Amino acid sequence: MAGHMGLDIELEEVRKIYNQGRANEVTALLSVSLRIAAGSMVCLRGPSGSGKSTLLSIIGCVFPPSSGRAVIGGRQISRLPDHFLGRYRRELIGFIFQRFNILPQLTVLENITLPLLPLGIPPKERQQRAAPLLEKFGIGHRVNFPAGQISGGELQRVAIARALINDPPYLLADEPTAHLDSHLSMEFMDMVSTLKRAGKTVVLTSHDPLVSDHAEIDRIIDIRDGRLV
Amino acid sequence: MKINPLQRQLNLLDYALSSLWRRRMKNGAILAIFAFVIFLLGSFQLLSQTLQSSAEELLAFAPDITIQSLVAGRQTPIAANKIRELADMYGITASSPRIWGYYFDHDNGANYTVLGLTEEEIGAMTGVILESGRLPGAPGEVAVSPAVRQSLDLAGRSAFSLFRPDLSQASFKVSGLFSRETDIVTGDIILMSLADARHLFAMPEDMVTDIGVKVANPVEIDNVARKIAGRFPETRVLTRAQIRKTYQVVFGWRSGFGSVCLLAALASFVILASDKASGLSREEKREIGILKFLGFQTTDILALRFWESVVVAGLAFLIGLSLAYVHVAFFDGGLFKPVLVGWSVLRPDLSLAPSLNGADLLLIFSWSVLPYLAATIIPAWRSAVIRADTVV
Repeated sequence: MAGHMGLDIELEEVRKIYNQGRANEVTALLSVSLRIAAGSMVCLRGPSGSGKSTLLSIIGCVFPPSSGRAVIGGRQISRLPDHFLGRYRRELIGFIFQRFNILPQLTVLENITLPLLPLGIPPKERQQRAAPLLEKFGIGHRVNFPAGQISGGELQRVAIARALINDPPYLLADEPTAHLDSHLSMEFMDMVSTLKRAGKTVVLTSHDPLVSDHAEIDRIIDIRDGRLV
Repeated sequence: MKINPLQRQLNLLDYALSSLWRRRMKNGAILAIFAFVIFLLGSFQLLSQTLQSSAEELLAFAPDITIQSLVAGRQTPIAANKIRELADMYGITASSPRIWGYYFDHDNGANYTVLGLTEEEIGAMTGVILESGRLPGAPGEVAVSPAVRQSLDLAGRSAFSLFRPDLSQASFKVSGLFSRETDIVTGDIILMSLADARHLFAMPEDMVTDIGVKVANPVEIDNVARKIAGRFPETRVLTRAQIRKTYQVVFGWRSGFGSVCLLAALASFVILASDKASGLSREEKREIGILKFLGFQTTDILALRFWESVVVAGLAFLIGLSLAYVHVAFFDGGLFKPVLVGWSVLRPDLSLAPSLNGADLLLIFSWSVLPYLAATIIPAWRSAVIRADTVV
């Protein structure tokens, strides 16, 4: 993935309209142009419904914009079919969800190595790849525990480890501290700061001051009603 | 990055197995019902095949050609002296009279097949194995199967009597007991001398029910049969091949009827399975959304679902078929035997050695596993196209 390090995220005149042409049509983003420098840590800030999660999803190759140009890791993702978006997402993006979206019945190791299954990585190699992450995030002792039986803090670390298992150049997190206490929120920010220093581009959405005011944040992008403010 | 397709499928299979285990209650229920349906189908197929091949064994004791007299299209006794007229026909090595009839036992509702043969023919029955005693030699002696002996309620005795048409009694003594191994052939037979059979059925001295003909060259059987039919136009001339065809038609019809009933059960199951697979729970939808988000493609989810179906169907196939084998081999296919062998004929203690070939396995497989896999394709597709953004 090292080839993607050093590539900026570029959005030009990006619009996103949900349910286009239907009665329940909603415009979530209006003509957003943005450039995020590689290796920086950016916070997308705004109230609920402002469009920050939609913007993060476009950057994360979850869906393409309705119009405009989006270049992630040097690849134009606008108007790409789902199949290619999935491939780019697998290669380029590490995503941390608001509620982590960990599968509770799988073990910690199984959760972390899930993204490696469709890549045809054999079990032994999956374990080898997970080992340094388990060590780094202090969850090595929980490796064979069902994820449903570990603490919130450990769950958060499992989510980060899973996002990093493919060594992606971009790490995205959607409201990562929304359900964490201040201690765990700080711990989270410290961990992503380390990743930023290791060269990853980090994009977070949050309206939590603990995130936006963090010393490692290079830039805060405010969004309101689908526009950058 | 180059992906190893085989390892990828192994990974997906591994995940499918763990997924099945995580939902073991739901999948266990489907597996149990499916295995039961395959058990029914397998038992039926196995039993009908076994009986058909047993019927083939029965033909080994039939003469090459059987001649019967017909009046108004119905069988009547035939004059035994026709044998003399057959003697000069080229290709015939021997002809013998026989009396083949049925005796209905009112007391237990069983139908026995009474077979009266000449001394020479009884002596030539080398293929029949006796469990004890000997084949009938003296007047009044009979050989019966253990089932007939039980049905006649002989207990420790060997003497019994049967009613003649004028309600007088004909007395018999069991001289030999057929082995259970030949039950399919001898299960309902009372073998006796031609004279005893004639006496029992009160048939005139010179009359019999059939004349059995032995032909020197098996290739010439049809030709000889045609010649006999030409010389005796009032008779019905049956070759062994024609009798075989009749058996096949009878078993074919019965097994076809049973199969239709069982296929209806299978269809119900397939609908149930399809319905079950369609109804994804919230948790399952979420899981698929997460997998899609983490880079699983639609084809990967389809493969996962496919492996799940293959494992369930494959296990159900193995379990169902093993149970079917046990059912036929050790319980004589008790569940379906009446349908296939008929209710009116006495066939107790029929011990069957199941004959299963590749074609049967393929047939059961295509009746059960393939419809199940087909039925789960659309639900699998529906789950596979769940969008990754459902979890954002």
